[in-house]
Amino acid sequence: MRWTAVMLAADLPPGAAAGTTVDGTDLAVWRSASGAVHAWTDRCPHRGMRLSHGFVRGETLACIYHGWRYGTDGACRHIPAHPSLTPPKTIAATDHACREAGGLIWVGGTGEPPVIEHPHPVRSLEVAAPPEAVARAFGAAEGVRVLDLDGRAATLALQPVASAATRIHALCARPDDRLALSRALDARRARAEGDAA
Amino acid sequence: MTIAPADRAAWYPAAPSSAVTEGHATPTVLLGEGVALFRTDGVAAATGADRRALAVTERYDHVWVCPGTPDRALFAIPEAAMPGRRAVPCGSIHVRCSPLRAVENFLDIAHFPFIHTGILGEEPHTEVNRYDVRIDDDLDEVWARNITFHQPQASVSAEGALDVRYEYRVPAPTTAILYKTCPARPAEWDVIAIFVQPVSEETCIAHPWMTMFDDATPHADMVAFQQTIFLQDRSILENQIPARLPLDPGMEVPTQADLTSIAYRRWLKRRGHAHGAQLVAA
Repeated sequence: MRWTAVMLAADLPPGAAAGTTVDGTDLAVWRSASGAVHAWTDRCPHRGMRLSHGFVRGETLACIYHGWRYGTDGACRHIPAHPSLTPPKTIAATDHACREAGGLIWVGGTGEPPVIEHPHPVRSLEVAAPPEAVARAFGAAEGVRVLDLDGRAATLALQPVASAATRIHALCARPDDRLALSRALDARRARAEGDAA
Repeated sequence: MTIAPADRAAWYPAAPSSAVTEGHATPTVLLGEGVALFRTDGVAAATGADRRALAVTERYDHVWVCPGTPDRALFAIPEAAMPGRRAVPCGSIHVRCSPLRAVENFLDIAHFPFIHTGILGEEPHTEVNRYDVRIDDDLDEVWARNITFHQPQASVSAEGALDVRYEYRVPAPTTAILYKTCPARPAEWDVIAIFVQPVSEETCIAHPWMTMFDDATPHADMVAFQQTIFLQDRSILENQIPARLPLDPGMEVPTQADLTSIAYRRWLKRRGHAHGAQLVAA
């Protein structure tokens, strides 16, 4: 299984939760107080609320709706409406493989995520076009590619979101290049969305 | 889309009375079908998409429509006629969710500390004590009784936190009524209802309505209080998966605090109510 980059690690501080989508599967990605990252199916087993709207307390993610708290293994630890109850082991969020490496958060793979040479995060952006069209417009490949954008070295990691939506996570070699690279990405996004339209 | 016979035979709110005026048609949507509302010499009327006249009744500051042949009269709220009470229509809130999800959320108390924080609940007062729920076969209604909950600001007029008593009643598939401790008159109930207009299976309009003993609070403040609560709920209702209410447990895990919701789902299933429901366990 190949790893998919879903966000820049810098965009998910400790205590944060965020929603994302990989190939149509909605995920809640969160970082505990100690800094570990986790990716779960974006749905609380209780009443179907998106866990990405939840809140982090220590090493648990709580659903915003009724405060059910889940530990880092996905198992439900606490049900506030019944504080003295030990939740049955069958109540659990669905856990997906998740790693932080090279300034990115990766989900769904096995083995080690790809090595990223460029240390400086530029930004993430969403393009309303399928991954093939985005790869063409950016001169990138599906997955991860190091390339030269208008004379500046960058790494682009592509995240297939849906049939006509792709996210790009960009990092670069030199911090001074970030503004120019951000503009170069915008120009190519317009091209990719024009091609797809 | 075909609509189940039981869904056609029920009463639904179609508009606040104030929105239906003499001299012109007010268009709206019920169960995915266009409806036109009229008022002639003070009397409300409705036609369906094929200009067929629909059954209409006007009660509780709203115009109610039955899209088929009604199998019963509109439910009664006897408190509405009590002297000294004040009826408070609280506006209309469009929500991108199943009408049944909106009703179920209204029946739920366990979310108060997390969604209505500092108003209807707050940590660490999260425990939901055991309460009584039953489907009343004679009335064909769901009732929940003997509910108590700690509330920091139970209503606009409440002074400080209270242990509030609740009863819930579901008299129609998209209507729920809450009877709640009246801070001004402990022997009486404040009555807060949610009249949910089913626009489609995944969109609805919530029309909150109240009748209370409160001569002092300005109407605008009472409406603002309810709007705050319902807008907080909307952030949940538009983010539940699946969008339609599963009538079979399927992938959802209820607990003892969800007994009202369990009875509501069972009652809908028994009535054959399908609109806004997910009938196949996913």
